Amino acid sequence: MDLPGPIHDFLLVFLGSGLILGGLGVVLLTNPIYSTFSLGLVLVCISLFYILSNSHFVVAAQLLIYVGAINVVILFAVMFINGSEYYKDFNLLTIGMALLRWFVQIIWTTRSNQIIEQDLISNSQQIGIHLATDFFLPFEFISIILLVALIGAIAVARQ
Amino acid sequence: MMLEHILVLSAYLFSIGIYGLITSRNMVRALMCLELILNAVNINFLKGNIFSIFVIAIAAAEASIGSAIVSSIYRNRKSTRINQSTLLNK
Repeated sequence: MDLPGPIHDFLLVFLGSGLILGGLGVVLLTNPIYSTFSLGLVLVCISLFYILSNSHFVVAAQLLIYVGAINVVILFAVMFINGSEYYKDFNLLTIGMALLRWFVQIIWTTRSNQIIEQDLISNSQQIGIHLATDFFLPFEFISIILLVALIGAIAVARQ
Repeated sequence: MMLEHILVLSAYLFSIGIYGLITSRNMVRALMCLELILNAVNINFLKGNIFSIFVIAIAAAEASIGSAIVSSIYRNRKSTRINQSTLLNK
């Protein structure tokens, strides 16, 4: 989307801070319902990032499927299961430091000229054409996977 | 400026997701951190390719099966601690 410069930057900072705080909220909040809602905030911020990247079909797919279906399924699972213990068993500080070092290594060893930006203009028609011609076989396999997964989930979760 | 910011945020979400997945004692919180990891990988595919839609569909299937398994484990054992499966420890 062609926004003016300051609005674009402000939206980037806003969504980035929302993502950072939401990610911390999913992991660190003790009440699991609060962390589910924080996960919903993270998913909405990610879909707004997709708006800024000019891929509008993924925005709608992300909002409908992730926030509307997956987050609700996780909320069902949280509601059905009582008694949430969040008790730190082992030393979390060493794991946190190891992950911080790993995160910094990911960022600092990716030089800027290695990032290749694809020139794929992905509006809805282009995605539809690709799904119907190039990616027809993965499309059929994905539909079979979804059918088998839903039948399996119902068979496992039934009484 | 947009490119590096999205990749840095994707790496950050991936690290936070793995940290939460390792150190969570609750099974549903582990499922939520798994969804965080999948979303971080999904946002790494810039410009919203076809593969992002496939990742969203696979994540939906996996979330439904994961929650079905967690609810059946809760029904059988009455608690959802991750470190309760110690039958192979002897």
